[in-house]
Amino acid sequence: MNLLPRLAGRQLLTQLRTTEWRALLLASWVAIALTTLLSVLGDRLEQGLLRDSAALLGADLVLSSSRPLTAERLQGLPLASIQHTSVIQFPSMVGQGDDLMLVSVRALQAPYPLRGELVTEPPGNGVPAPGEVWVEPRVMTQLQLQSGAQLDFGYQPLKVTRELLASPDRGSGFRSFSPHILINAADLEASGVLAPGSRANYRLLFAGPPDAILALDNALRPTLDSHERLHALSTDQPLTGNVLGNALNYLKLSALIALLLSAMTIALSLRRFTLSQHTRSALLLNLGLKPGQLIRVYLYQLLFAWALTAALGVLTGYLLELAVYQWLAELLPQALPSARGLLWFSGAGLGLALLVLLGLPPILQLARIPVAHLLRGDTPPRDRTALLLQGISLLLLAATLLAFLEAPLAALGLLLFLLLGGALFGWLAQTGLSLLAQPLARRLLLGRLLLMRLRQQRQWHRLQAAVVVMLLTLLSVTWVSRADLMQQWQAQFPADTPNYFLINIQPWQKAGVDSFFAERQLNTELYPMIRGRLTRLNDAPIKPQLTTAQQNHNTLRRELNLSWRAEQPAHNPLVAGDWWQSGDTGAISIEQDMADELGLKLGDRLGFDVGGTQVEGEIRNIRSVVWTSFRPNFYIIFNPEALQNAPSTWITSFHLAPEERATSRELLEQFPSLTLIDIDQLLTQLAGWLQHLGDSSALILSLSLICGLLLLSVTLLQALEQRRFESALLQTLGVTARQAQQLDLLEFLLLGFVCGLLASAGAEGILAMLHQWLLQMEPRLHLQLWGSLPLLAALMFVLIGSLIRRPLPLSQCYRLLRSG
Amino acid sequence: MSYLNREKPIIEAQDVAKSFRTQAGHVDLFRHLNLSILPGESLAIIGRSGAGKSTLLSLLAGLDSPGQGRILFAGQPLDELDDNARAALRLEQISFIFQSFHLLPELNALDNVRLPLEIQGRSDADDQARHWLEQVGLGARFDHYPAQLSGGEQQRVAIARAFATQPKVLFADEPTGNLDDDTGHHIIDQLFHLNASAGTTLILITHDIDLANRCQRRLHLHNGQLEESRS
Repeated sequence: MNLLPRLAGRQLLTQLRTTEWRALLLASWVAIALTTLLSVLGDRLEQGLLRDSAALLGADLVLSSSRPLTAERLQGLPLASIQHTSVIQFPSMVGQGDDLMLVSVRALQAPYPLRGELVTEPPGNGVPAPGEVWVEPRVMTQLQLQSGAQLDFGYQPLKVTRELLASPDRGSGFRSFSPHILINAADLEASGVLAPGSRANYRLLFAGPPDAILALDNALRPTLDSHERLHALSTDQPLTGNVLGNALNYLKLSALIALLLSAMTIALSLRRFTLSQHTRSALLLNLGLKPGQLIRVYLYQLLFAWALTAALGVLTGYLLELAVYQWLAELLPQALPSARGLLWFSGAGLGLALLVLLGLPPILQLARIPVAHLLRGDTPPRDRTALLLQGISLLLLAATLLAFLEAPLAALGLLLFLLLGGALFGWLAQTGLSLLAQPLARRLLLGRLLLMRLRQQRQWHRLQAAVVVMLLTLLSVTWVSRADLMQQWQAQFPADTPNYFLINIQPWQKAGVDSFFAERQLNTELYPMIRGRLTRLNDAPIKPQLTTAQQNHNTLRRELNLSWRAEQPAHNPLVAGDWWQSGDTGAISIEQDMADELGLKLGDRLGFDVGGTQVEGEIRNIRSVVWTSFRPNFYIIFNPEALQNAPSTWITSFHLAPEERATSRELLEQFPSLTLIDIDQLLTQLAGWLQHLGDSSALILSLSLICGLLLLSVTLLQALEQRRFESALLQTLGVTARQAQQLDLLEFLLLGFVCGLLASAGAEGILAMLHQWLLQMEPRLHLQLWGSLPLLAALMFVLIGSLIRRPLPLSQCYRLLRSG
Repeated sequence: MSYLNREKPIIEAQDVAKSFRTQAGHVDLFRHLNLSILPGESLAIIGRSGAGKSTLLSLLAGLDSPGQGRILFAGQPLDELDDNARAALRLEQISFIFQSFHLLPELNALDNVRLPLEIQGRSDADDQARHWLEQVGLGARFDHYPAQLSGGEQQRVAIARAFATQPKVLFADEPTGNLDDDTGHHIIDQLFHLNASAGTTLILITHDIDLANRCQRRLHLHNGQLEESRS
């Protein structure tokens, strides 16, 4: 074997016994495992859901609308050589026996889909025949269906003939995550589930040669109505893809912390290693090795270390990917293809980049060491070349990490947050430590020594505290929010908060529904719902009168659900103005936030386009609305006279205790065409999704904790000689070995305690913000954090500290001082 | 002169032996070694590298234990003292000066001198530290950190630190080894001057024959035995 690799191999074998090399290898292992996991998972998601958008969209171009799309909509469009089909999607409760389940229904007609395919068991082509239904495994499981079973669907029972394993065209938004069932469009009318005015999404799917699709896109886009959207491959990412893409980015950002910690561990390990190599390098140069050869020896050593960790890292990444995929599998619309071969090695590639970029500057410095180091202890020059090299390698490293994360802005933001947060926590921890040590110093000898130690180690303490506090804070937030946030949010509602919405009640069904509820003494109130678009303010078009931000307001970008009422809704207190008297035909009521954000005030006149008719009203009062009350709520309520002749459906919500569930069944039996939405089921689905995402992120953050512990040990290692020297000196000055040990223990305990307290405060702060802004709840204290984090952090410091810094016997003290 | 008085010895080595086990086998550093040092004496231990001078010093200072025989400090056998009592002995009665100065880099000159006084829990630590720094001519450099001081100045801080606790015995291990001749002479003058005025027992390890000649007694460590010549 060649001399240089052999020398490098020997060096590595000897170094494997040192803590810095062990830390370096572990850090690089974790970094490679994590990046492998995320690259592979990312590639599978991208291939399965993001890149092949046509297969996901089920077409090349999709026109989606909240109103029925009739044949007239196609008139005048360039449809030569274009295939098209229509789909109607809506939420509905389906059932078997007493079990009811909220699903997303797609009513299809052949050909379907135009791109991609339906994967079913047993396999086959086409769409469900009339009278048949294909359901996803989740529906099979929850309703305990067998193939051939009857599924109640409105007036029309359907026979389950296939299990639907994967399907494109899942629609957008949360509905794409609901369990799906496919039926034939011909069954829709017989089921009576969909009536005029029902809430549904109507889609026209188009496929054809690119030129024809482009022409169609160009022809359609200018004619889009306010309730229509056009999804094209080139311009739109389907929402399922977006949500999963965001989830992946979230996981990648969680991983950024681990990667940063690994990078710091590797950098500090290499720093310590290269500092210990000055004499050896000078000697090798003195013996005639050329600087280039010396560089190669150390590069070989890094390469060998990389090869070792890459093999282990890729394997670990594979196992982690299996675990995370299992967690996410339930939420994925379809099974994902395997990752492309090369992606398996991207983690190893990033690991190599980390090692080389972090290792090269100190290694190049080693090659510049003067041989006079052997005589006079000269060190390598710290000049502009060295600084430049370090700067370039850090920039390249940052670029590599950002490129890996693919969300540079978010990553930069997180980086900044971590750096600023770390600096702040580091400073706070150091200040807190000094404050704690002052009273001790007045009473105890150890306290006085501790003050000296704190001064001596202050830079390392800052770094250690920054890492530990940030990590524990983020871990606690993930941990607590993973389980509690959703529960707490749900728990804040009174017991009789409505847990069912009933929508699509047709005017002729209203009286029947009212008496159904009255018979069962359910206190509900039906609200009419009319679609309309806000177009005018004070007799002029509204948009030119608003700022750009206001023009993009939620209420101006879409049709609103309007309502009308004679009396003020009991759950909407007025904040300005008075409710109207009967006959006050020009009066409307507006929701408080909408009024504030659009700058609308009492007396302003608003004009709405309701199905092509202009309807106007004057703001007579402003209402406060709690949107999470699970009651029908509206931005705008009209006086009855203005809108009661407009086409409307009715909506209500009600509460059923678990033992009253049969009522929902009776309701659907009596009115099969109504859409009943089980809020509990919806929230359970959402909670499941958050829980799985939280689990994955907690896994990644736990790996970050390992990186944090490694970094902690390496930082303790950096000052180890200083600590040993100090301990030897103190012992010769008259301190006992036990006192020297107690000093370390006291330092680690206090540092851990302060870090734990800061992490508790940090976690409480972030959780309070989440409560306040995301859930709009009063923040609450998490006492378990204040109890456990200081203990955990103190334990971490003491454990790692005692592993790294063993007690120094008195007989070695003098020897150590002589050798120094 | 103090060495003539018939006081009890401050340090006594009785039939001391020390050996090491190395890969090459068993090595006897010294056997049947006897030594008696009276209070206030100055004594140099000389010998070639590896003769065991530093090991002898750490035995005499109670930092290490002999394989056989015993060391008495002020009549008290060191092997009868536990860790705490030995630490107290070092704290109250013994000081060291090292070849490499061994100041704590993060403490300024004043704090370095104050350190052993603070460990003693002395309320006058600050005054004493200032006094001794002034004694070694560093009255203007209280706030300077070791990195801002020359080698000679660092050693003077170390001397001030050694005398500040007013020890009975001062061990100096090659105190001029890292200094040029002029600075070394100056430091040694100061050391002997302070030693004479404080009445401390001085035990010095050195290669420097001139320096050894300034001590009242010179012990040559050779083949595990001490040969004495007196001035």
